[in-house]
Amino acid sequence: MQKTIPALVTMLGEPVLHFLKDTQEIQVMNLDIVLSNLEEINAMSAVYVKCDGDLHMGALLYLPENKSKMLASQLLGRSISDELEILTMSSISEIGNILTASIINAISRDTGYKICSSVPGYAVEFFRTLLESAASDFGYESDTLIVSHVEFYGVTSNIPIHMLLLQNPSEVKKFII
Amino acid sequence: MKRVIEIKMGGLEIITDEEDELKTFVGSCVAICLFDLVSHVASMAHVMLPQKSDGLQSIVKKDIGKYADEAVSYMINGMIQKGADPKRIKAKMAGGAAIFAHESETSLFNVGQRNIVYLKQILKENAIPLVSEDTGENFGRWVRFNLQSGTLTVTSNLKKLEKTI
Repeated sequence: MQKTIPALVTMLGEPVLHFLKDTQEIQVMNLDIVLSNLEEINAMSAVYVKCDGDLHMGALLYLPENKSKMLASQLLGRSISDELEILTMSSISEIGNILTASIINAISRDTGYKICSSVPGYAVEFFRTLLESAASDFGYESDTLIVSHVEFYGVTSNIPIHMLLLQNPSEVKKFII
Repeated sequence: MKRVIEIKMGGLEIITDEEDELKTFVGSCVAICLFDLVSHVASMAHVMLPQKSDGLQSIVKKDIGKYADEAVSYMINGMIQKGADPKRIKAKMAGGAAIFAHESETSLFNVGQRNIVYLKQILKENAIPLVSEDTGENFGRWVRFNLQSGTLTVTSNLKKLEKTI
């Protein structure tokens, strides 16, 4: 997080807190245990970035859709109207891209692994849909996933940004070899 | 008493009681439903991926619905064992959305489209007619199959959509 937090602080122009909420190994079939009761009430703006190369990992960044417009407005330094959805999409995608890049850069630096990230994919959906689509990316390799949940929190704006890092158990083992 | 059986990701269920309903949620995954309304046998699988890459049979039956090829084969055999006539089995399916915006038909990301194409191929190989479908687009769906009527109800709370196919 040494590089990730400063990157986010610079983008948002405010102090950012971060919490590693949990890391757990979950059966793909039981992924719905990470869904909250509110998951079909609040739509989320989300970005998925797929990382490949020496390490396969997925980064799913999401925040409530109503907060995403605030975030876009903060990044652009002006208010945005409802018609300018494209600005919201591009702002969130950029944050997903930069946060994921800072994480994989740190991993690369510490391990020497070569990792490439995909073009960020954007969606506005309920969390259940986002999670299912991201999990499909890993189905061939394992029946379980290691899911790490990090929350970033803009102290002034009260904007919460969540990030799930998804990996197969065999990929996580690469960190300790 | 009516029971709603929820199928988890990669899961599969077979029912013979007309009071029962099968239900699942799909985004890029596909809910494939096979049914024989005369024998009152139906099955639903939550298919995540087209084909098992290692060619080995799944030992763990709880996620037998994960791969399209294994799922359909298991569904047909299981339904026949429970009295279905293979000549009467029909199919309906829903899901296979491209959720993230950068996805395209040629993208490796677009597993939804690949699931749809592969499932149609398997159904054709097994001479099972696909009588209706609600596939593609870019949103997640709740899918519910009613054995009494043979209807598949598709709903999206986000899109405020409900249709019966």
